[in-house]
This record gives sequence, C-alpha cells and structure tokens, in this order.
Amino acid sequence: MGLEQLPDELLLTLTDRFPCRDQPLQQLKALLSPALPSPSTLVVYGPHATGKSSIIKAFLDQQRPKQRHAVVQCRECITGRHLLERTVAAVREAVLNDEPEHDSGEPEARANPTTYPGRCETLSALEVHLQHLLENQGKFTLALDGVDKQRDAPPTLLPALARMGDMIPNLTLILIVQHPPPRFLHQTGVPHIHFPPYSRNQSLHVLSRQPPDIFVESPPDDMDHDDETHEEDKRWLWPRFCAAIWDSLAQNAARDLTSFHEVCQRLWRPFVAPIVKGDFGTRDFSRLVIAQRRLFQDESILLTSILSPPTPQTSTPTPQTQTQTQTQPKPQTHDLPYYAKWLLIAAYLASFNPARLDALYFMKTTDRKRRKKGGGTARTPTRRPSQTRKIPRHLLAPASFTLDRLLAILHAILPHDLRTTIDMYTQIATLTSLRLLVRSGGIGSSDPLEAGGKWRVGPAVNWEYAQGVARSLDFGLLDYVAE
Amino acid sequence: MSSSQRSDLQSDAVSSHKGFKVLGLHGGRHIEKAGRPGEASALDNINSATVGEISSFLDEAGHNQETSRIPAGIIIAGPSAPHTSLATQLAKHENDSDSNRIFVTLSSGSGSHLKAILKTLIQKATSRQSALDDETDEVQTTKQKSTKLLSYDLQLLHDFVTERHLQQVVVTIDDTEAFDSDLLSELIELFGYWRNRIPFVLLLNLATSVDFLQQRLTQAAVKCLSGRLFDVAPSSDVLEQVLDAVTSSDAPSYLGPIVMGAALERQSDYIQSIDGFVDALQYAYMSNFYANPLSLFLKPTLVREEVPDDHFEALRTTNSFRAWARRLLDKNRATEVKKVLQDNGALFDLARRGIGDGRATLNGMMLAVTVVRTLQQSLPNTFVSRKSSLYVQAMSGKLAGSAMLRALHLTVRKVPSDTAVKILQSVLALSIEDRALSECADVATELDELVRAQAEAGKPLRSEEDIRNSTLRTTVHAQKVELSKHKTSLSQQDKDFTALLRRFTDILTRFFSETLVNPKTLLFNEIFVYDLRSPHREVFTPRPRHAIERALASPHDYLDCECCAPDAEEREEATLAATQPGTAILYQLYLESGSLINASDLWQAFQAVMGEEREEGQTRALFQRALAELRALGMVKSTRKRVDHIAKVAWRGL
Repeated sequence: MGLEQLPDELLLTLTDRFPCRDQPLQQLKALLSPALPSPSTLVVYGPHATGKSSIIKAFLDQQRPKQRHAVVQCRECITGRHLLERTVAAVREAVLNDEPEHDSGEPEARANPTTYPGRCETLSALEVHLQHLLENQGKFTLALDGVDKQRDAPPTLLPALARMGDMIPNLTLILIVQHPPPRFLHQTGVPHIHFPPYSRNQSLHVLSRQPPDIFVESPPDDMDHDDETHEEDKRWLWPRFCAAIWDSLAQNAARDLTSFHEVCQRLWRPFVAPIVKGDFGTRDFSRLVIAQRRLFQDESILLTSILSPPTPQTSTPTPQTQTQTQTQPKPQTHDLPYYAKWLLIAAYLASFNPARLDALYFMKTTDRKRRKKGGGTARTPTRRPSQTRKIPRHLLAPASFTLDRLLAILHAILPHDLRTTIDMYTQIATLTSLRLLVRSGGIGSSDPLEAGGKWRVGPAVNWEYAQGVARSLDFGLLDYVAE
Repeated sequence: MSSSQRSDLQSDAVSSHKGFKVLGLHGGRHIEKAGRPGEASALDNINSATVGEISSFLDEAGHNQETSRIPAGIIIAGPSAPHTSLATQLAKHENDSDSNRIFVTLSSGSGSHLKAILKTLIQKATSRQSALDDETDEVQTTKQKSTKLLSYDLQLLHDFVTERHLQQVVVTIDDTEAFDSDLLSELIELFGYWRNRIPFVLLLNLATSVDFLQQRLTQAAVKCLSGRLFDVAPSSDVLEQVLDAVTSSDAPSYLGPIVMGAALERQSDYIQSIDGFVDALQYAYMSNFYANPLSLFLKPTLVREEVPDDHFEALRTTNSFRAWARRLLDKNRATEVKKVLQDNGALFDLARRGIGDGRATLNGMMLAVTVVRTLQQSLPNTFVSRKSSLYVQAMSGKLAGSAMLRALHLTVRKVPSDTAVKILQSVLALSIEDRALSECADVATELDELVRAQAEAGKPLRSEEDIRNSTLRTTVHAQKVELSKHKTSLSQQDKDFTALLRRFTDILTRFFSETLVNPKTLLFNEIFVYDLRSPHREVFTPRPRHAIERALASPHDYLDCECCAPDAEEREEATLAATQPGTAILYQLYLESGSLINASDLWQAFQAVMGEEREEGQTRALFQRALAELRALGMVKSTRKRVDHIAKVAWRGL
C-alpha cells in the first residue's frame, strides 16, 4: 500500500493550492512525515501574508494517514491563561473526536480525558494535562498560530513550550511566528522553516490564478462576446493589469500579497470601465493603460479608511465617482456648544503658552498691546541668534496646566462677563470624555479630586483645529499665542 | 377643604396638561387615560428617520454576511449624548419586526481592559443575570460539552449565537471617544477575527469626526471596518420639534419669555442634548402647578364649590387683576369692580372667563408666529427665523412692530404675482379660522382671476413697489447731482394687482396687531403664563464653587450669629474675628497671601487673629483642622519646592 507515495500526492494537491511555496512544503513534508520521527518543536516563521497559517492548517488537515492535530489561534486568546485553557480544550477535542476510530485503545486512555477538571492556570498544569491526554496515543501535532503576539503572555511561555516536546515524546509543537528574535526559545537545534515573502513574479503568478470578470453584466450583443472569449480575455488582461499595478504602486507600498490583491481589486472596476463602455477593446492594454494612467498615479488608493467600501462587489464605474465615494459628503457638523469652544481655546492657550507669560498676554491692562509686540525689553535688538535652535511652540507636545489657570484664561479671553455655574464644569467633563481635554501625568493624576490636578489638550487639538474654533468665534487667536 | 382634596385637584390640573403628556411625564394620581391613543411622544419620533436608515443598514449587513470586514454604522451624534441612546430606540424599533438580532451596548465604563469589557459584552449578550464573580473566571457552558470556558471567551457568545440561530450581534459603543484607543483597536481587531463565526455589526457613536477616530485606531483595526455614516437630527431641530409639541393648540399654560429665554440660552451655550431642555420645561410646568395655588383654576372641570376662599383673596391681589380694576374704575364702572371684589362667585366667573380669553389670545399668538414663519418660508431670499426666538419675542410683546415684521411687510408688497399666489396658498393652507385672515380667501380668488387673465402675457404681474417698476434718474443741475425716482407707468392689471397686495398686507397688519399683544397685559396672566426666573436658575445652574468661596469669605451671612456680626457702620467688608469658624479665618488669610504660603507664618497670623487668651493647644488644634479642611476642599496642597510651604491651588472668583 504505497505509503511513500501518499504524502507526495498530498504535496501535489498542496502545491496546486499554494503556488510558489514548494520549498517550505518540502521541508514540512520531511519534518512532519508520519513515517519518520518528527522534531519535538518546529518554528515556522515569515512575514505577514506568506501563507504560514493556511499551509500548516491545510497540511495537517490533509495528511494521510490521518494524524491527530490541533491548531490554536493565539490572537483570539485574551490572556495567557486563556491560551493554556484553549490549548487543552483543543487537544482534548481532537483526541476525543478520534476516539471512535481507536476503540481498541486502553480504557484508561479514554477515561483520562473525561476526568479533565477544566482548570489549567499555569504552564506546569498544561504540561500535566497534555501528558495525561496524550498518554498512549500516537503522534500528535499541536500548532500555535501567532504565539509571539500573545497578549499577557507569561514571560516563560515560549521557552517552556519549546521544552514541552521533551516531556511528551509523541507531541510535535509547531510555533508559527512572524519575526523570531535570536534565541527566543533559549534552546538550540530547533528546526526553523522560513516562509519568504512573495517576489514580484510570484505575487503576479498567485494573483493571476483568479482573474475577476471584466463584464459584470453580459456585454452588449454587438461585441459578439461569449463566455469563452470573456474567460480568455480576462485571463489575458488581468495579469498585465496586476503587473502594472505592482510596478506603479504596490512594489513600494503594498508588497504583501493581501494588500496587493486588495489594491488590484479596488482598481480593477475603474480600470476596465472604458472596456465595458465600449471605448476600448479587451486587448488594447497599452492604450488602456495610457488612458487610465491617473489610476496608477493616485496614491490615495493605498490609504485605508473606515468609510470607503472597498469591496469589489460594490464597484464604481469611473474613477471620479470612486473618489467621491471615498470622500463621502460631509454630514452637517455638530458644533460644540458656545462655551465649550471658548474652553477649548483657553485650554489650547494654557497648553501652548508658557505660564510665566500669562501676565503679559491676559492682564487686562492698557499697555498690553505695546508689551505684547515686544517693545519693552532693551536687550532684544542686539542679541545674537541663540546657540540652541528654538522649535516653534505649537509643534511641540502640549504642556500641562492646572484647572484654575484654564478658568482664569477663559475669563480673560471672553468678550463678556461669565457667571461660572455648574454647567462650566459639566463642559469640562464632556470635553474630557471626548478626549479634547485629557488629564495629564503627575502624582495622583488618576484621582479626579486631587487638588491642583494637571490637564492637557488632547492630541486632536492642534494649531489648525484651534484656529478653526477661534475663527468660528471671531476670536483673534494669533494675538494671544506666545511665539 | 382638606389638603388631600386640594392635591387631588392639583394633580388633575397637572395630568390634563398637554406638555406633560408630550414629554412623557405623568404626575398625579388621576392621570387621564382618555388621551388620544395614537399620540406618540414627540421625543420618540425625533430620530425616527435615522433609526429607520440604520435598521435597513443592519438588514443589508445581515444579507451580506460573506464580507470579511465588520459592517460599522458610524453615527455622528454630536458632543452630547442623545436623549435616549439610539440603540434603545433601535431595539424598540426592532421589537416590532421579528429578526434574530441581539443588541449590546458598551460604554467606556464597561471596563478598563479587554478582559473586563469582553466579560461585560458576553454577560449582556447572553443576558446572564447574576454578575459574574471576579474571582472565578470559569463559566459552565450551556452545551453539554463538559468543558469549562473562561467568562471572557467569545466562544461563549459563539455558542449562544449558534444555539439561538442569531443572525446578528449588534454591538453599540456609546461614547467612542472616551474609550482608550488601544483598547478600542484591540476590541475591533478581535471582533474581526471572530467575524467568520459571530456575525458582529458595530454601531459607533461619534461626537467629533471620523478622521479623529481613524487617527486613534490602529491600521489593522481600520482594515477590519467597513463603515457607513449616519447622522442624527441636529439639536436645534430637535429643540424646535419639542417647542412645537409644547406650544401646539390647547396648551393650558405657557412659559414666559424669561424662563424660556433662559432655557434656550443655556441650551445653546452649554448643552446640546435635548434632555436639559426637556428637564427645564418639566420643571417649569411643575413649578407652576405645584407652587402656584392659582393654577387650580386651569382645571377644565372646576366648579365654584371646590375652590377654597383664600384662593379668591389671592386672585384679588394679582397685578393683572389690579390693573383691570383700575381700568374699569377709570371708565366709571365701579359697580362691576365692587361686585367682583365682594362676591366670590362673580370673581370665579371672571377668572374662568379671563383665563379662557387669555389662553385663546396666546393660542392666536402662536398662530401668528406660524404665519410669520410661513411667510418667511414662501418668500425667496428671506431668512426663516427660528420658532424659539419668535416665541420669546412674541411672549415678551416685542414682536408686534419689530423691524423684522416691518421688513416682511415691505417684501410682501414687492413680490411678483407668481410668488404672491404661492404665499396666499401657503397662508390659506394653514387653515386658520380667524376673522382677519378669512378675507385672504377673497384676495386669493381675485388674484387667481387676475393671474388667469394675465396668463397669455407669459410674465408675472408686478406691483407698484416692485423695484423693477421704478427707475432712478440722475440729473446734473447747477453742479449738483439730483436723484429722482420715477414710477414706470403701470398697466391696469398691474394696478389691480398692487391694490390686491395692499389689501393682503393690510389684512396681515390687522391680524398681527390683533394677535401679537403683550401677555403681561392679559387678565390673570399670572395663572397661565409662568415666568419666574429664580427657581429655574437655582435648580439648573447652581454655583458650587462660588457658594463655598462666599461662605468661607463671609461666614456671618450664613451663620447669622450675634458674636461675629459686623458693626453697622463698616458693613461692606467682612472682617476677621476670633469667633468665626477656623476654616473661614484661615481662608481669608489664605486669600491675602501669594501662591506659596509659609506654614509657620500662616500659623502665626492665625494665632494673632484668635487672640492670646485662648490656650495654645486649642488654637493649634483649630488651625490644624482648618488647614485639613482647606486641603480637603482642594485649595491647598503640599509642595515639593519648599518643604515648609503649602501651595495655593485655587483662586477666588473663577
């Protein structure tokens, strides 16, 4: 019963599904071969979108003869303990599911899993559980996907996992990571399989396997297009289009396969729009590229946005309308209340003006104007340029201020008198919840009742924003900003 | 009459009030259930359009399950939270349609880290009643799996979804801005991972802008979302709707210009959610009904015997009654006045009549406001005033003869015939049964005839005042430029049209002068117009900081003790005295010092104020307590700059 050939068949189907991954597949086949002993730990690494997870999963699923295995997605685990619990649960499920086929197994082996108490809080507990579960079982493969990105992982997680195979001889642990630092397992001799990023030709090859349709609806009759020619045409056009995209946009900004694919999908409909309209034939690639060269120059397509619906189904026929959908019609803005705006301006000034100049800018004295223009000090004109270059204040991070300074500045800049009521404090609380004002560090900053607590303006309140708010209030912000 | 009877009567008056019903407030024990059943609360209908849109968005997202991105409805709701969360409105909306959805609302208070927030999410979604114990994270699954899952494992939610065959899990995030950016990103990414198993849909309430949100999220989280924008009604529109509901016909009592003005001003200055405004209205109505005994007369089915005698005495002391009596006496109709002064029955009739008339007048005034807005809407290039501002103007009696109204008249006189037809139609469409306005119908029919006659000419009729019918001529005479206006000669039709327009504006003038009266001149307006500023101010805009500062600075005003009463001559400045509370003394010393205060100096000054005769230990105890209190009030804190100093943190009058 050609045991040797079967993995080769597996390899064939897999190379068919995952082109350009021959080398890693060969290595996997050698290392995880059912006939040969496997290493206790195996590290699979490579950058984002190189097919690590899907290939491992497909490989394990399709292995003949069927081997027991489990795959755990570490990114779905919230804590280290969560990971351990899920690992035990996954292994247990895999073992139990296989149970009917292994009726001849010893009764203890079956009894053990059912007595699983459902608690696995430490790595040692995991060890014990796995030992119990895998006792007297055949080879078992456990893959931990993205284990280097595990949240709240205990510091000993990776080294401990790497030694798990030493304790449980029939376990093979596959760690799927992106960029393993040197000696991250504190162990030598662990085989690593590298999944290299796809090169230009490889990317194009992968993408060209599934060309999208040129015509969404059936083309007009006069173009005598049937399904066969359509199929042929899109097979011809799509790879060329992808190559053009790669050369113009993707090679610099969207090198990995998924983002490259996404960019191609997003631009495909606008690109073929003239063909659909009938202006160009399906094989007029060079003329089409020239006519549509704007598409290849517009880099805004590379930006991801929450709002743009980049699904290829809801495509837009022309680039004009596409840019329109991206910059959605702005809904009417909900303005801040009147005093909230003043508070924001006061907070901006408090953050970006040094406190020692407050008297200069906010004192309601008659000579304010003269002193503000810098006429007062005598030594300014002959001064040499200072040795240290001064960075404009508004480009620096906002400084913190006390609440009373904010209120004092507010009183100073308001064009009319203010009766401070509880509403003002509500406004401050609202602005804080909107992160336009934030509490800044210092001792006791977490306590809102701390006397003299410090505040800052939020990251969203920059010079442009403050200027806009000031303009809406007809307030000359420039007169009050120290520079 | 016993007090319980009295309160029954009051609550009758309350419950019959339309404003209460509209605002969803039910006071009193005898609530009239006979109100129109179909009348939904005005507040519920405010965002119905948006709710409908979002619901169809959810339906669409439900059909389009295969996308890997999470459909996200981004609701731009403005800086203040809407009066009821849109999610609850949605949930209510959804209850009618039978779809398999669950709604979960998360807010920034739901948890400070991912674990806590997932716990809340799962707990709310699976509506597990008992709050989960923090110590044990395990939860027995509903299925017979015999494995235990952690309480923050989304697998729980997944099991729940498959068990109930849910099509969508709608997660609403109320205050997106208040969330920690990292937390929100992690949450969204996690939802993205589970998207293929749990059909998540996100609804994000935003106060600022999408760009701001996008800046805060990680790239991966942004890639997980495919968003659509929704907009809720801006707060000013909501305000108008509420005002419409409150001032619609048969309102038994009205809010005066001062209260309404204050509430509106606060609305635009500080708050944007409609909650505050609704609260203000409710409070005003309650003040009128519970604190003004005369509001008893507003009860529609009141009979003479139910009214206690002292209420009639109170009626006779009202300003409007006195003014009415003075007017009658001036006209030598003393007998009428005498009768009302002596006979309670006559006064009762007068009060009922006065209130009925007054309310009718105010109702007419509201109609006049509507007419003004209708005119403004149908005239091209005219700014449509907000109903709220018109209301305040009308109620303070300033609308009649205002510049705006005069300008409106002049504009109406200048319009060409096609616009005039439109104006007349829209005014007639209001279907106001008023004597003055009923003549409009005649004008409209005549105008129709004129226009029909003119129809062949193909151009509209122009009135005499129309700017195109007068030319400006300049002549130079003796080196002076003279400007002279010349009317072009008008056709007969144009002349007729001008006359018609004049008639129309005359009707309008008469109508406005009849309806727009000053409510203060109406008899017994104290009963049906509530206009007291101070309760509103005290309740809605207290000044805690000012109160504390003032109490500390002049404690005598509050304690009213004899020991520290200042001399009658030097009244103005509160002086330091040993009899005052220690905290007050220390606060006044504190006010006089700079931003860093030497503790020893402060102690010596305190000792000097307290006097030598007291024991030092006692004084020191007082001092320490006072200092501790100032510190607890957040006025001083220790400073690292100088060890023996305290820092002044709060300044007076901010």
